[in-house]
Amino acid sequence: MNAQSTIARITKNGYFKYFSKKTIWFLITLVAAVTLNFFLPRLMPSDPVAAIVGRLAPGMQDPEAIRRVYESFTQIFGLDKPLHEQFFIYIRNLFQGEFGLSFSRYPRPVIEILSNAIPWTVGLQLPAILVGWTLGNVLGALAAYIRRGFDKTLMPVMLFLGGVPAFGMAIILLTVFAISLGIFPVQGGYEQGIIPGWNMTFFTSIIRHYHMPFWSIVLISIGGQSLGMRSMSIYELNADYVKYSRYMGIKDRKIVGYVFRNAMLPQVTGLALSIGTMVGGALVAELIFSYPGLGSTLFRGISEGDYPLIAAAMLIITLMVLVTVFLLDIIYGLIDPRVKVSQYE
Amino acid sequence: MHMGKIMLEVNDLSTKYITRFKEDVYAVSDVSFTLEEGRSVGIAGESGCGKSTLALSLMGYYFPPLHYIKGDIIIDGQNITKMKPDDVRKNVLGTEIAYIPQAAMNALNPTRKVIRFIEDVVRAHDPKATKKDIHDLARQRFEVLNLPESTLNKHAVELSGGMKQRTVIAVSTILSPKVLIADEPSSALDVTSQKAVIKMLNDLMDMGLVKSMIFITHELPLLYNVTDDIIVMYAAQVVEKGNANQMVFDPLHPYSKGLMGSMLVPEEGTRETKLAAIPGTPPNLKKPPEGCRFAERCKYVMPQCKVYSVGYTEYGDGRGGRCLLSETELRDLYAIEN
Amino acid sequence: MKTHLRAVLRSGKFIVGFTIFAAILLLVFIYPLFNPGNPLQMIGYNSFTKPGTYVSLYDSLDTRRVYTFRPPGAADVRIDAKLSPEDRESIMEWLLSYSEQEGLGLTERDIDIEYTEGLMALWWQYYDSEIRLDGMTIARRREFERLDLRLDGLFNLDDLHVMALDPETGEYDILFATVSDDDYVNVDDVANVIYLPLGTDGFGRDVLKQLVSAIGTSLWIGLIAGSIATAIGLTLGLISGYIGGIVDDIVMFFTNLITVIPGIVLLILISYSISQLERGPVTVAIVIGVTGWAWTTRSVRSQVMSLRNRDHVNLSKLSGHSIPKIIVRDILPYIASYVVMAFILQISIGILSEATLSMLGLGPSTTTTATLGLMLDWSIMKSTAHISGAWWAYYPVILAIALISFSLNLMNTGLDQVFNPQLRD
Repeated sequence: MNAQSTIARITKNGYFKYFSKKTIWFLITLVAAVTLNFFLPRLMPSDPVAAIVGRLAPGMQDPEAIRRVYESFTQIFGLDKPLHEQFFIYIRNLFQGEFGLSFSRYPRPVIEILSNAIPWTVGLQLPAILVGWTLGNVLGALAAYIRRGFDKTLMPVMLFLGGVPAFGMAIILLTVFAISLGIFPVQGGYEQGIIPGWNMTFFTSIIRHYHMPFWSIVLISIGGQSLGMRSMSIYELNADYVKYSRYMGIKDRKIVGYVFRNAMLPQVTGLALSIGTMVGGALVAELIFSYPGLGSTLFRGISEGDYPLIAAAMLIITLMVLVTVFLLDIIYGLIDPRVKVSQYE
Repeated sequence: MHMGKIMLEVNDLSTKYITRFKEDVYAVSDVSFTLEEGRSVGIAGESGCGKSTLALSLMGYYFPPLHYIKGDIIIDGQNITKMKPDDVRKNVLGTEIAYIPQAAMNALNPTRKVIRFIEDVVRAHDPKATKKDIHDLARQRFEVLNLPESTLNKHAVELSGGMKQRTVIAVSTILSPKVLIADEPSSALDVTSQKAVIKMLNDLMDMGLVKSMIFITHELPLLYNVTDDIIVMYAAQVVEKGNANQMVFDPLHPYSKGLMGSMLVPEEGTRETKLAAIPGTPPNLKKPPEGCRFAERCKYVMPQCKVYSVGYTEYGDGRGGRCLLSETELRDLYAIEN
Repeated sequence: MKTHLRAVLRSGKFIVGFTIFAAILLLVFIYPLFNPGNPLQMIGYNSFTKPGTYVSLYDSLDTRRVYTFRPPGAADVRIDAKLSPEDRESIMEWLLSYSEQEGLGLTERDIDIEYTEGLMALWWQYYDSEIRLDGMTIARRREFERLDLRLDGLFNLDDLHVMALDPETGEYDILFATVSDDDYVNVDDVANVIYLPLGTDGFGRDVLKQLVSAIGTSLWIGLIAGSIATAIGLTLGLISGYIGGIVDDIVMFFTNLITVIPGIVLLILISYSISQLERGPVTVAIVIGVTGWAWTTRSVRSQVMSLRNRDHVNLSKLSGHSIPKIIVRDILPYIASYVVMAFILQISIGILSEATLSMLGLGPSTTTTATLGLMLDWSIMKSTAHISGAWWAYYPVILAIALISFSLNLMNTGLDQVFNPQLRD
């Protein structure tokens, strides 16, 4: 009894150490990422204020007037202050949940632009990634377990699918189903001219526009995931414990359960990471379908030198990845004994 | 000759591997021997001679790449080669005959606690076993074998090499099998752990938790200390068998003689028994030679050795060998040489 | 090593992958020998001409030998070429609307669209470009006008006379050539013939020629990017995995940082920061390589960590060998096969990244070299070839990218099965 509680205490201490170490690294990485997010966009050689002035004051001829407008905008955005001061203001604002005003769509606040875009991206990608991941894993596991003809045909197809770039798949689906066959609309998140709202027309329009980008992401992730799952499963099926369990008389069905559980653990990491990185991952697909998501918004922000928009979008992306990785570390530390042993010490 | 109850009888067992290039490798050919209650037999030979394949073949449960060709395996009067695979799985594996794998280090599922795996093992043979009964059995068995009870609630990765191996042995014998096959159970361990493993196997025999044992190793000194009888294998066949004493101090077959010679003068720093004492390499088991398989390397080879296939001859008193020369002829040959 | 090599050569996957890749490479080297010249030369004055063989009309008339052929059905074929089934449908549609408007009482049964003479007789009888039908758009009316012009003289088989300008009279009164309906020329006799198996792109450039050169450039980009990423990843992974401790912590910190900011976003920002003028293919390749090393570092590190306590490494340590020596002699050989596989993967990632960047308009800014990504950018993002149906301008490019990464992946899988025995079938 005594010995057992000692062991339990050591394990608990070990986990605490592991947890604190992970937390500290999480915070350090977060600070570094926020800093990078602020400075990287400002390295770009564009003059966003000039662009705004050009847009908001067209036809203005008087150079003196243009200069005054230019300066007032520079002041509004705080670009006249030294860079480090801008940085501290940025950090202070962040703590108040303030992301500032967009340069390119002045005077709309960044937060509003982003909160319009996020539901589109999440609504499109989360289901697509989940469906692709699930189908891919089932196919991969089956290929590893059945082998023979199923594997021999599936594997090259999946390798090929995995080799098609995301935008390539988007273009293929677009040309075949939207342009040649005309089954689905060519671009956008909903028909132009429809006012977004909670009504049936808008809803059906969304569904019609949903198919193309959705399936292009699903197909791509099926390719990658099934290959990963297949080789993980084969690796596990050939593991010594499988042979031993068989010779101990355990039923094959049960052993397959062991194998797929063990093969799944790394796949879960893959899932979490692809959810975390979804914005960057399908940026081009969003662009090709002109889907009104975060990817398109970020890209527009970049091409228009919209610092606050870029920094905020990147902050969201970074946070998503960081939090996912952090949660994964924490959960894995609890459920996977392999991590437990290598990390706690 | 001892008159114990016969626990295991193997008659003319032959099995093969089918490689991924669809080639047959005849890894076990016409192996016969018997094992009595309370006794242990060691199987020795160079690496690749088929001793590990023999261990797997004896389980009577075949899945690719291993395939059954012919022969009988009779455990305590029951011929398991005539049974359906699922019957073997349910009623033979673990309960009649159990196996300790060569790579015991990775034999346990890394993400399953030891006790959960024991539950799976027991339930595979007795689906109605209650959790409490299984846990009681496991606790009691671990106590008898001097293993800490806390091991039950650990994952394999949390155990040291020696503990992992002893846990695997305890799990393998949880259903008190009549025959236990241990394939190199101690070769990857440090000396202390090796001793602990050997002691554990002896304890299991002494307590009657295991009725008989087959011990496979390439480390011959170990066999002499652990087992009653020794079988020497060469190129998938049994070339000689006898009790440990006779086999070590009075080997008859030219191959056993070479093998034992190399054992008594161990090569410095060699882990695998690469026999410096016998030049040449074993034959290719994809196409085994027609005549005596050892002929190519035999010091005393005669022209007819490469032509006639050689059967196994009983020399009496449980002793026997696979050579064209008789026991007396062999003894005379060695006498002249000395 | 020798057995491994033999096993690699026996691996079906590796061989298929290698064959595809070698065929692509061969194409890149051999094709320019047969079709030399600047791949970005604008030869056509129309955008997106479809694939085919183009014969100079001028030179055809001027060909010395003219052959006479009278294959059966030639006249019908000629008529069908001018009057497609859609045209026949259109004619019927017009006739029916006209009949309805004028009360002629024509019904679908009166018009047999398969019977060309009858159909054309009705058309010529009733059609007049002045007639305005109710509810017909102007665009549609123009289409009918064009159709009518095209069908003029549909059954006419008279000889055609090509006249040349008489410099003295200033009139076209010198007979240059007479062409009858059974005159043929051999394509080989015509002085100027252009073969465009994949047509031209939006700027009138030969797509196949451009594609071959683009594959070459993209492979270079992949190779440079892959080498840089693998070199950085390998070095950091070796250092961090072998030395461990604070060095490991620092390296992993940067690796995590790079992982956390999605690669493509980092690429976009860096590409934007580099002014357009400096953004050649090599610069883009370097940018891709410099941002893409994180996962190589991670995996090399974990491989090294599993190796660093092996007996032979410990022996080397005890013998007092220096760290670089141990890494090179006792660690590197054990992960060499793994590094080769990572390198192959990095090449294909490099090619894909270039394509993605270029599609975003951030690829190499150049008008002198083509890359696979730029070809897509030009045809899809800049000229919307996918909307106008010019499949030849982008499908072959996508196929090329897919084939390159497919072949590299296949080779990788083959190698993996050889060097990672647990993955064997």
